[in-house]
Amino acid sequence: MNTPIAYDMLVIGSGPAGQKAAVEAARSGASVALIEKTRKLGGACVQRGTIPSKTLRENALRVRNMRMNAQLSNFKLAEDTELATLITRLNNVLNAHDEYMRKQLERTQVNLIHGRARFLSPQDVEVESVRGEKQTYSSGHILIATGSHPRKPPDIPVDHEHLFDSDSILSMMYLPKSLTVLGGGVIASEYASIFQALGVSVTMIDKYPHPLGFLDNDLTQTFLNDFTQMGGTWKGNTKVTRCYWNGMDAVITECDDGTEVRSEKLLCAAGRVANVKELEISNAGLQLNERGLIDVDDQLETQVRGIYAAGDVIGPPSLASASMEQGRRAACNSLEITSGVVHSVIPAGIYSIPELSSIGISETQAREKFGDVFVGVARFDEIARGQISGALNGMLKIVCDTDGKTILGIMIVGEGATELIHIGQMALINNSPVDIFVETVFNFPTLAEAYRAAALEIIHQRKINSSRS
Amino acid sequence: MTSAKVSPQPGAAALERAMEKLVNTGAIDVPMLPEVAGKVVRLAQDADSDAAELAKLIQSDQILAGHVMRVANSALYTPNASLVSLQQAIARLGMKLISEIALGASINSSLFNAPGYDDHIQYVIRHSLLSGLWAKEIARACRRNVEAAFLTGLLHDIGRPVATQAIITKAKKLEIPIQKPVLFALENQFQRTIGVKVVEQWEMPSTVVEVVRYFDDYNAAGEAKNQTMIACAGSLFASHFMCRPGDEGCMTRGELIGQAVLGDLDLYQDEVEEILEKEDVVKSAMEALSA
Repeated sequence: MNTPIAYDMLVIGSGPAGQKAAVEAARSGASVALIEKTRKLGGACVQRGTIPSKTLRENALRVRNMRMNAQLSNFKLAEDTELATLITRLNNVLNAHDEYMRKQLERTQVNLIHGRARFLSPQDVEVESVRGEKQTYSSGHILIATGSHPRKPPDIPVDHEHLFDSDSILSMMYLPKSLTVLGGGVIASEYASIFQALGVSVTMIDKYPHPLGFLDNDLTQTFLNDFTQMGGTWKGNTKVTRCYWNGMDAVITECDDGTEVRSEKLLCAAGRVANVKELEISNAGLQLNERGLIDVDDQLETQVRGIYAAGDVIGPPSLASASMEQGRRAACNSLEITSGVVHSVIPAGIYSIPELSSIGISETQAREKFGDVFVGVARFDEIARGQISGALNGMLKIVCDTDGKTILGIMIVGEGATELIHIGQMALINNSPVDIFVETVFNFPTLAEAYRAAALEIIHQRKINSSRS
Repeated sequence: MTSAKVSPQPGAAALERAMEKLVNTGAIDVPMLPEVAGKVVRLAQDADSDAAELAKLIQSDQILAGHVMRVANSALYTPNASLVSLQQAIARLGMKLISEIALGASINSSLFNAPGYDDHIQYVIRHSLLSGLWAKEIARACRRNVEAAFLTGLLHDIGRPVATQAIITKAKKLEIPIQKPVLFALENQFQRTIGVKVVEQWEMPSTVVEVVRYFDDYNAAGEAKNQTMIACAGSLFASHFMCRPGDEGCMTRGELIGQAVLGDLDLYQDEVEEILEKEDVVKSAMEALSA
């Protein structure tokens, strides 16, 4: 073994968690090395997932809007549209992001190491360069932030040519005529609705009755209404028995109800698993749990002292936003730096068409936990801005405790949901009563007014209840 | 691949100037992609088309039909049965593969008229086909576009035979007796620009055009950088496997694994080894496609 190079902290992986951890640790004066397997920084989030899919989404929205406003523009997407033309500016976005991250790492004097890491012991990590050279690094503080990759069910022959996973779906050359999406989770719903908005005939198949099962039914139903109105097909409660490229012209998906779905391409979105294959975590005394993830405590420390983990390797919520905060906190905890107030409520954003976003607990969870909670709903078609902009398929829901004042959760479906949620987030983390949405004057006309409409509904219910008692 | 420098052969400078003029004015004779091949490629990309339609089209070209039947009956695709009908063969091979066969079959030496250089052109074509097949496997490993990888691998050097043909024609016109090293040097000099013109004229997807344009400098390829690197890597794999013992400039397996482009694709050495394990699959496909 070569002489190990010592650092105060080693961070493995430069995705949202690793990058924020490295910067936070370096800012506290620690010497930090950030090890990244690929040439580009940012991990799957930047290179294959979040940013590319959101770039495609922007164009899908434009296409959809142009179709919806047929009286303004007689728009038709050209036959054989190259996918690259629909992910315009992606390279610029990625390069800008890469440059920004590199500058930030340079500024904070984080040493960036390009190579593949593997544990030799709980304190020693060997890094193999892409050319095969090896160097060992050591530290008493190590953060695993290696992210995740698509789970490949053994019976789905993903070949990245006809059957794709979420890492390869955007490598398609042309927009297909039809697409089968296996799964009903966040990634499946996002891609299914984005491709449907682009005019691809999409069939979503999942074993559960509704997609996005962690959300309330009325929200997922609004998503499904929009999806089916665009021409998409949802096949819930359906198990896929076999899936294959027929060697001719279609991917065949056979279902347990005897039906057969034919499509030009298929996307398998069956969840994600931790990227630890090459890390040899057993050398550090670590092992994966039954879900294929690394267990951590509330300090984000693994069962091995000094080794922390953050981001997708520790599992849900698997959001870039949450990973960033986890990374920062893990660095602080590891180096015993005060991390500031940690808010446990974080928003979830689903960039489907339409968008969905939620914070706190759902109505279903609230009723299970507290009983007769108060719920206020505002539909976007009842809000002036919704009518003006044509964003009619949307709703905002506020869930309050049995006192009708304490906010428990907020859920939004409809365009702008991922931005609108932050108004509710501020109220929630400041423990503001629901009344704040009525006492606050919102711009008119805006979709944010939905907060006021939903809050008024709760206050009205509260008054009726109190007059009864 | 040949890389001789222009020797001080009499008339070589004049020929070089004439070629420069030809390329700059865009007066290069780009061979027509056979009509049937073009139609097959388009039909294969059309989800509304069916096997019967494709069979009808292929039947209109006896040579292509024969080629498809040979490939369909090769050990790779039909290990147990012998196919007799074209429609049955299309059903077995698939529309996409048929388009690859059609394009592969169309880009053959008969497309070019370069007397005395038939072997050279044959080599370039075989190398290109093998590059396309390896590029597919590399693209799969990198989660990049597999279809584009085949096309870009197949067409990355399309400028070479066209350049050879143009140089011979021009030399004949100027009555300059041409020596092989001079021709190869001029081919190297002009093939890239000519290749871009060919794929543009054949209306290939923009990615293919960009890969051909930036093949010699993938760092400048912008958004096509990854596809260009894959085509480059495919070409290196093809060179390695086509090299015969005793040939000059052969890459050993170790040298191939150590190529910079593979590192730039973030392929670690064990991952390259995994790709190399596809040798039999690629070899079978090559035999079938060039049957």
